[in-house]
Amino acid sequence: MASTHVTKRAKYKTTIKDPGTPGTLRMTFEKILFVPHNPKSAGKLDVEFRYIKGQKHTKEGSNKPPWLNLTNNQNGSFIFEFENYSDLQECRDFVGKVLAKGGEVSEKPTVAYPDEQLSAAEMELRIKLLQEDSELQKLHKQFVLSGVLTETEFWATRKKLLDREVSKKTKQRLGFKSAMISDIKPSTDGRTNKVTFNLTPEVILQIFAEKPAVHRAFLSYVPNKMSERTFWTKYFRAEYLHSTKNSIAAAAEAAEDEELAVFLKQDDILASEAQKKIRRVDPTLDMEADEGDDYTHLPDHGIFREGNKEMTESQNELYKRSLSQDINRHAAVVLEGRAVDVELEDTKAVAEALAQSKQKSSNKGESDGDISRERLDRLSRMTEIEDLQGPNTLPLAPLCIKDPRDYFDSQQANALRTSGDALGGIEQIKCGLSTQEVYGSLRESISSIKAMGLKEPIVKPEVAHQVFDALTNSISNTKYHIGKNPQESVLDRLPRKTKEELLHHWTSILELLKHFWASYPITTTYLYAKVNRLKDAMSNIYPQLEEIKGSVPSELRHQVSLLVRPMHQALDAAIQHYEASMQKRSAQSGERPNGYV
Amino acid sequence: MKFQIEDVTVYFPYDYIYPEQYSYMIELKRALDAKGHCLLEMPTGTGKTIALLSLITSYSLSKPETSIKLIYCTRTVHEMEKTLAELKLLHNYQIKHLGPQARLLAIGLSSRKNLCVNPTVLAAENRDSVDAGCRKLTASWVRAMAAENPNVPTCQFFENYERAASAAVLPPGVYTLQDLRVFGKEKGWCPYFLARHMVQFANVVVYSYQYLLDPKVAGIISKEMQKESVVVFDEAHNIDNVCIEALSVSVRRQTLEGATRNLNRISQEIDRFKATDASRLRAEYNRLVEGLALRGNLPITDNWLSNPALPDDILKEAVPGNIRRAEHFLHVLRRLVQYLRGRLDTENVEKESPVSFVASINSHAGIDQKTLKFCYDRLHSLMLTLEITDTDEFLHIQTICDFATLVGTYGRGFSIIIEPFDERMPHIPDPILQLSCHDASLAIKPVFDRFQSVVITSGTLSPIDLYPRLLNFHPVVSRSFTMSLTRDCICPMVLTRGSDQLPVSTKFDMRSDPGVVRNYGKLLLEMVSVVPDGIVCFFVSYSYMDGIINTWNDSGILKEIMQHKLVFIETQDVVETTLALDNYRKACDCGRGAVFFSVARGKVAEGIDFDRHYGRLVIMFGVPFQYTLSKILLARLEYLRDTFQIKEGDFLTFDALRQAAQCVGRVIRSKADYGMMIFADKRYSRHDKRSKLPSWILSHLRDVNLNLSTDMALHIAKEFLRKMAQPYEKIGGSGRKTLLSEEDLEKMGDGGMDEMLY
Repeated sequence: MASTHVTKRAKYKTTIKDPGTPGTLRMTFEKILFVPHNPKSAGKLDVEFRYIKGQKHTKEGSNKPPWLNLTNNQNGSFIFEFENYSDLQECRDFVGKVLAKGGEVSEKPTVAYPDEQLSAAEMELRIKLLQEDSELQKLHKQFVLSGVLTETEFWATRKKLLDREVSKKTKQRLGFKSAMISDIKPSTDGRTNKVTFNLTPEVILQIFAEKPAVHRAFLSYVPNKMSERTFWTKYFRAEYLHSTKNSIAAAAEAAEDEELAVFLKQDDILASEAQKKIRRVDPTLDMEADEGDDYTHLPDHGIFREGNKEMTESQNELYKRSLSQDINRHAAVVLEGRAVDVELEDTKAVAEALAQSKQKSSNKGESDGDISRERLDRLSRMTEIEDLQGPNTLPLAPLCIKDPRDYFDSQQANALRTSGDALGGIEQIKCGLSTQEVYGSLRESISSIKAMGLKEPIVKPEVAHQVFDALTNSISNTKYHIGKNPQESVLDRLPRKTKEELLHHWTSILELLKHFWASYPITTTYLYAKVNRLKDAMSNIYPQLEEIKGSVPSELRHQVSLLVRPMHQALDAAIQHYEASMQKRSAQSGERPNGYV
Repeated sequence: MKFQIEDVTVYFPYDYIYPEQYSYMIELKRALDAKGHCLLEMPTGTGKTIALLSLITSYSLSKPETSIKLIYCTRTVHEMEKTLAELKLLHNYQIKHLGPQARLLAIGLSSRKNLCVNPTVLAAENRDSVDAGCRKLTASWVRAMAAENPNVPTCQFFENYERAASAAVLPPGVYTLQDLRVFGKEKGWCPYFLARHMVQFANVVVYSYQYLLDPKVAGIISKEMQKESVVVFDEAHNIDNVCIEALSVSVRRQTLEGATRNLNRISQEIDRFKATDASRLRAEYNRLVEGLALRGNLPITDNWLSNPALPDDILKEAVPGNIRRAEHFLHVLRRLVQYLRGRLDTENVEKESPVSFVASINSHAGIDQKTLKFCYDRLHSLMLTLEITDTDEFLHIQTICDFATLVGTYGRGFSIIIEPFDERMPHIPDPILQLSCHDASLAIKPVFDRFQSVVITSGTLSPIDLYPRLLNFHPVVSRSFTMSLTRDCICPMVLTRGSDQLPVSTKFDMRSDPGVVRNYGKLLLEMVSVVPDGIVCFFVSYSYMDGIINTWNDSGILKEIMQHKLVFIETQDVVETTLALDNYRKACDCGRGAVFFSVARGKVAEGIDFDRHYGRLVIMFGVPFQYTLSKILLARLEYLRDTFQIKEGDFLTFDALRQAAQCVGRVIRSKADYGMMIFADKRYSRHDKRSKLPSWILSHLRDVNLNLSTDMALHIAKEFLRKMAQPYEKIGGSGRKTLLSEEDLEKMGDGGMDEMLY
């Protein structure tokens, strides 16, 4: 994707309703060029990229065609309709890259303004984040759009998300299911002998990936030679024959119907692929190479008919496919992962996209210089005896926790289990330290850092471990202690709607409190106004919480109120502080409050 | 590190050394000093190979006046690659510390199929076609023809190599097969013939067992090795079987049909030559009259597989008169084929000794013993005279001649068994005539006689006193080492009962019991959900594995297993198995986790390591006994009983348990590694079976783990994995050190050594 330009077929539309002029769209780092196929038609376009401010595009999966909308700085826009989503994606990524480049240059001046001028790329990123995370979007809608927080304030606390490096990480792609496709069981209607197979595009993609011959047959037969329906009927007929393990019957049927034979025969594409792959296999497990040195198993040499050598029937071998082969093939495909990232709607599209991606990967396979080097590296790593030498630093994959709640919940269950084994193992950590002590220890550590520099690692592993343990033990502790069963959380017993509302309130309260406490000490009028806004928003939450309490059935009310109580407490503390500081402020008493209650 | 063993400075490419590696080296050095053979058993995962390589290379470095050559035999090509990779590591280290004087030449040698770089030849499918393809381009007469007619294709790489003549040498270094190919491509020289040539000059040669044990191959490859060489057989626990197989031949109907076709072809060729170039046949006849069975020095490219009998047993006399003429020889072969065909048409199983078989050939087909003995050489000579290049087409007649020569040469230690059908499929007639060797010492005898030191080593050689008897040699050193462990990093268990408390076993009467199959499935299912990364399962045979997988598939157990890990299976197709293994490793590398189903005594069990995350658990389903109804096995057992007084039952148990130990022993690579082993069969809990396991497994097999059910095994597995996940002190606890540094070794001196080693 590091190309310096992108060229795609597209239709240019001046407005959304415009049917569009077909032509070729060419984008370089500098400009966008659109040349219609018909040289006479109007709509030739030549725009420099620096006038482009941002882009919008239709989402995959929506029912709209793949549109890319580029807005320029005069609020005009250029709309392009692509032939498919992968083209759109490519162009979108390209535009994003170019805009990001432009954005980097123009970033400096924007910082100067307090009310920031966002670069297009930055905007893009934010929008993307909001789209990906519905919870964030909800918060954003609730606070920013209602004016409680400004856009800047909202994002200021989420700098980490905006970090380019993090956001650049490729999204994890969904793989294939572990279940075998042969596990698709037909449904019967119970009265007749008719069976019905339910095929989803997902399953079809998997069939194509595991059986290249079926894929090839599909591309060549459908829809010219037979309809898709007959194709799949034949396929399952073949699968049925195969499942009966009657290779003679299979051979007979195959002789009559040559299309059916395609499904029954050994997959020749697989065989040739295997020949190709075997050359790149790790030499330390290449058993195929052994055959070259094996002189006792010349035909008819060595000991025959020993226990482990099995006899195979050579006749009808052509139509015999063993379960082991299927399992191996399936696992290999699952391991390779999904090669195509298309919308799974149309089987034809699926088949074509798969063919394309295969083409690509086979082109890539030509250059196996890297592969052989990697192979050698792996070999030398394998031969070393690890504990006879110094430690090898292996590259670490950063831990990426999508939803911290999931993590803590699962850890919680673990922690409970272990703590159940060794109850009372955790000693009470001394919490009540006097100010002097805290100050003293802080000074001490600062001076020691000054003297010796930061230690590596900064936090001792044991301490870090202890902290994590304590955290996992206490976080979401209540919900387990209340439940009868340690595996079952209280939240899960609540009605879905209530649960979601509670969680949402909790996050929004946290958001507000975060901003609220961060505003102290109030030094500017701006902060003063903000605190007022926040306080109003917070006081609005009280009645909503009451409402939730009222809405749940009475047997759960107690638990809900237990859950709501900490929220109340947090809000109370904030409001109390607010009022106290207001009083002080109005009393104009000497020094300003310092964030302490 | 660098340390002293008596008068030898040993260069060892790591900062630390295991104590057992150190004592292994001491024993090895004693054997080298005594110029005798030795037998050393050291558990897997203690770095045998590197200890061996570094001692022997250091030994020859310290004694520059005697050029000691190391001939290192591995069972498989991939083990060869691994050994060379370790040698490379060692070599780099020695160069770094000793400078240029440490230079050596080490090469791996394999067949044309693995070394050829000519794309047209390589396109062929199997080894024999590649060999034939090469011969078509490089045989002396083809090259002579090409010299006159430029349209005759030759191999550019070989021509370049020939042209370079004595300049074609490999610079010092360690060459894996891949390196040889790359070097050959670069220079435009044929890597195969270059390697064959360099074998004489190399300090270390790594190749397959068969290049030394199988007389057919050894005759051409290993002829010129010096007596001073040190021969190492690594992973030698199966060496007796390799020896036996090297001298066994079997003849089936297809072989005879093929041989008849071959004979027709040869007869056409003879007619053609008579018409066009009769002088050539006459020249051959004259040569044979003069008593030159095989013409002195053949061009290297004309070499064919040599005589299947051992060099000492081949008579140095003239070819008997009745087969000197090509037509006469052809008639003899036809009569022989006819006779064998008649013998195959039998209704009953027949067992015969070679002597009576030869007598019967003599009376029925009129071929005497001496003629039989010369069959192979005569055929070889004839095919050279007829300038036949597509040798892969003539394998059948070659088999017949192999058979004739062996049966004519050996009177004892063999038997001939004719079976009309396979017992397991009595309805399918498939007659087979087998000449099977029972005496493992026959094939290895020339090796012991020729070389001054032969080292036989493996992770499982128990009982260690049996091997000298089987192979008939007298080791000067014979020792079994135990493993000093920093922590209990192996966890063997014997599982006797399933989750329903019913016994599990693959005993003949129980193996098809659905309850046993289900219990095995449940065991695996429980294990895949708690064990991280890779799990390996071994079954007793392919047919049993196929059956059990099909049952698991039908009952949905397989599907549940797949929820946790990907499943890969060894099949009889080598290419597919290799790819499956490659994928299995990938799955373990990426964290997906996988299960590999394999067969004890299969190719995977023989040589693939499942160390580190590639194998955290091995499950051995059943006891891998040989197929005890096999006639050949029975004949061998009878021979063992008569000659060595070894009881049948003892030998069978010994054989099954060494296979089982070999399967499970592949999980450990170093002391930092860890793995569990489950022996899932109630028979393992019996003392007579269990006690045959190697001592390093037995010492970790606690009494409480001897009679487990699935749920108990699961609990132990969880505990073990949790324990292994904790950080630990690598050097070893307070008592004994399990890792020695250079200073430790110096400190030890002579006095304190015994207290640290044992």
